[in-house]
Amino acid sequence: MNTKGFILVVDDDPDIVATSRIILESNGFEVQTASNGKEALDLLSRRRPDLMLLDVMMASDTEGFDLAFKLKEDPEFKDLPIIMLTAFLDKVRTEGPGPFEFILGEQWPVEWLFEKPLDTKKLLAKIEAIFTAKKIVPG
Amino acid sequence: MVAVAHDADPSAAWGKLFKLSWWPVRIRWGVAPGLLAAVYAAQAAGVVFPAWAFVLVAAFILIGNLGIYWHFSRPEPGWPRSHQECRQLVGWQAAIDGIALWAVTYLTGGVTGPLVVGFLLPVFFVSMLLPARAALAFCTAVLTVLGITALAEVYGWLPHQSLFFRGVDIVPPPHPMRTLSSLGFLAGSAYLAAGFMGPAVGGFRQQVQDIERRGQTEAVTSRRLQSIFSALEAIGSVRDLKRVLETAVAEVALVMQVKGISVKLLSEDGKLLRYAAAFGLPESMVREKVVEVERSPLNKRVIQGELFVTGQVTATEMFQFGETLSAAHLQSVLFVPLNLEGRVIGILGAYCEKPDRFDAEEVNFFRLTARLVAIAVENARAYEAVTAMSGERTWFMMKVAHNLRAPLAGMLSILEVVRDGYLGPINDQQSEYLRRLDRRARTMLALVNELMVLSRNRQRPEGECAAATELAVLARRVQRTFQDKAAEKRIGFRVNLSADLPDVRGRLETVEQMLENLVSNAIKYTPAEGSVDVRFSRANGTVRIEVGDTGIGIPAAARPKLFTEFFRAENAKAMEDIGTGLGLAIVKEIADQLGGRIVVESEEGVGTIFVVHLPIAAAPAS
Repeated sequence: MNTKGFILVVDDDPDIVATSRIILESNGFEVQTASNGKEALDLLSRRRPDLMLLDVMMASDTEGFDLAFKLKEDPEFKDLPIIMLTAFLDKVRTEGPGPFEFILGEQWPVEWLFEKPLDTKKLLAKIEAIFTAKKIVPG
Repeated sequence: MVAVAHDADPSAAWGKLFKLSWWPVRIRWGVAPGLLAAVYAAQAAGVVFPAWAFVLVAAFILIGNLGIYWHFSRPEPGWPRSHQECRQLVGWQAAIDGIALWAVTYLTGGVTGPLVVGFLLPVFFVSMLLPARAALAFCTAVLTVLGITALAEVYGWLPHQSLFFRGVDIVPPPHPMRTLSSLGFLAGSAYLAAGFMGPAVGGFRQQVQDIERRGQTEAVTSRRLQSIFSALEAIGSVRDLKRVLETAVAEVALVMQVKGISVKLLSEDGKLLRYAAAFGLPESMVREKVVEVERSPLNKRVIQGELFVTGQVTATEMFQFGETLSAAHLQSVLFVPLNLEGRVIGILGAYCEKPDRFDAEEVNFFRLTARLVAIAVENARAYEAVTAMSGERTWFMMKVAHNLRAPLAGMLSILEVVRDGYLGPINDQQSEYLRRLDRRARTMLALVNELMVLSRNRQRPEGECAAATELAVLARRVQRTFQDKAAEKRIGFRVNLSADLPDVRGRLETVEQMLENLVSNAIKYTPAEGSVDVRFSRANGTVRIEVGDTGIGIPAAARPKLFTEFFRAENAKAMEDIGTGLGLAIVKEIADQLGGRIVVESEEGVGTIFVVHLPIAAAPAS
């Protein structure tokens, strides 16, 4: 299948997972989904995605962060682009690792953070931009 | 302090007596030179006597007077004297004069000599200025010493001193009859003087003592008033139970002049007594100490409304109260119930090292104090309950808002997928209704977001006032946030910042939230081709932030309710159906929290200007 790229969506909210899949697939991406960190790791070990959408709060408030930190430590995945999603930007701002000023800096395990409900246009634009910058060859 | 009239002031009254008693000190300065002059004159006249001994007596008088002067003139004789000091002053003078007179009398022929009458001077002096009993004692002492001296001369234990004038002994030799008659004359005069003068002067002394007593009572009353005032002040202004009680025990201990005060509060089930505050008592006794009421019969009696007072407390009694105070050497103990509307909420205790300390009046005062303390406790408890409740409400609001966001996000995602035709084509009517649904859901989302901001600001006000925000950063961020939206609506949007503005108080996020709400409203309610201007300037020690627009304006009727939660003006609803009515409530909340203020000027159809004054930050933003 000729797609623009392979994206892994990790979220425990089935509605978000389903709608993200529809939107991303309709826009030419190949999508796999996981509903928790463990499933995500399992899928990652089988096939490396080009990008990951990762929810912050799943079973625990920091499950997404925990996974992101783990991947950042892992030489195989440390360059994997991750976009974090959260419905609780406010909570993440105040309770997330490090102050909000560093939200896009080195202290965070990810470069990008989107608030839910997602602004689909902006999200798609961001994904395209990342793919262009990283020169991910559709395949 | 209650003012005490000057003539009723005991120290002033004693000051007068002291002044009176001070006069002889001044006169005495002349006695030594006078004595020396007399010695010289007598010798010149040819009287033969041991002159050197008189010189010694003169020196003694001088030194004695110097001693008195040195001791009693400090502190500066502003005369706020006590009654003990007056007595001591008279007593010391009488002692010096007595000794000097004895020496002079002995040296000039003894009891039968011419100078024995000199003793009447100190006797008068003492009778006037000391109570009758002291005057009589002084007379008796003088007569005894003179009697012994005479006896000693008769039996030859002391050599008889004579005065020779031109070779003739002018003092008759000691003879029992002469001695007795001389002593008798002296005794009669002295006791008469003491007996008559005493009562005459006694009236004055009594008056002074009355004034003193009245003054002391007034001082106690005034101290008590002051203490009650402090306690009332604490009840009125301090909300924290612990601090209310700490103030109360310290004040009560001070006014009652006791070693310790304790407050034990009864648990809700009435089974346990816990120390809530103590003053002057060992920490070990008070901290974490809990007494079971059932096991402590004496405590139980107090809780049932009796009072316990003793002036000779025993170890057993204190043990029964669950208090081990043996090391503190306390003797008097007073416990009264803390009564509130017929209900006992605890025990107020007073402890003193002196035995039999608490009289009926003090017990009564202590009972009144206990009522005051009980009211203070109840007041503070009520306030704490209210605070806890409002804290819980804020927490609940936050929780609800958070939990509403996740399903809302899910709903909006599904709506988008359907509306944008990802699941197949939809007709125009369906599309219109889905658009309406989307708007409703987004209104709800905005409401939830603003509720979260509101509850977050209420929950974490601490540290906000110590933070600082750099205005250049704030201006840049606001410009960036709104420039696209304004351009989209074809509204002129400018942010003006005058140079060299200081930082304002508050975290950047908080101040930005406030400004964002104002600007977003301005853009929302300004029609196309209008303008929105944000201006930062300095005014009277504050920073003035002005958000002006050429929008629809706020009707005069709506202005009073403008900052009320969930309020929206009619013209605003007509123009924009999405709106929560929380935006300006948040602005007000933040402005208040930062110690700032906000004013609004508006004319319907012309525009609105919001002006926020924020305090300058104490320290620059890091």
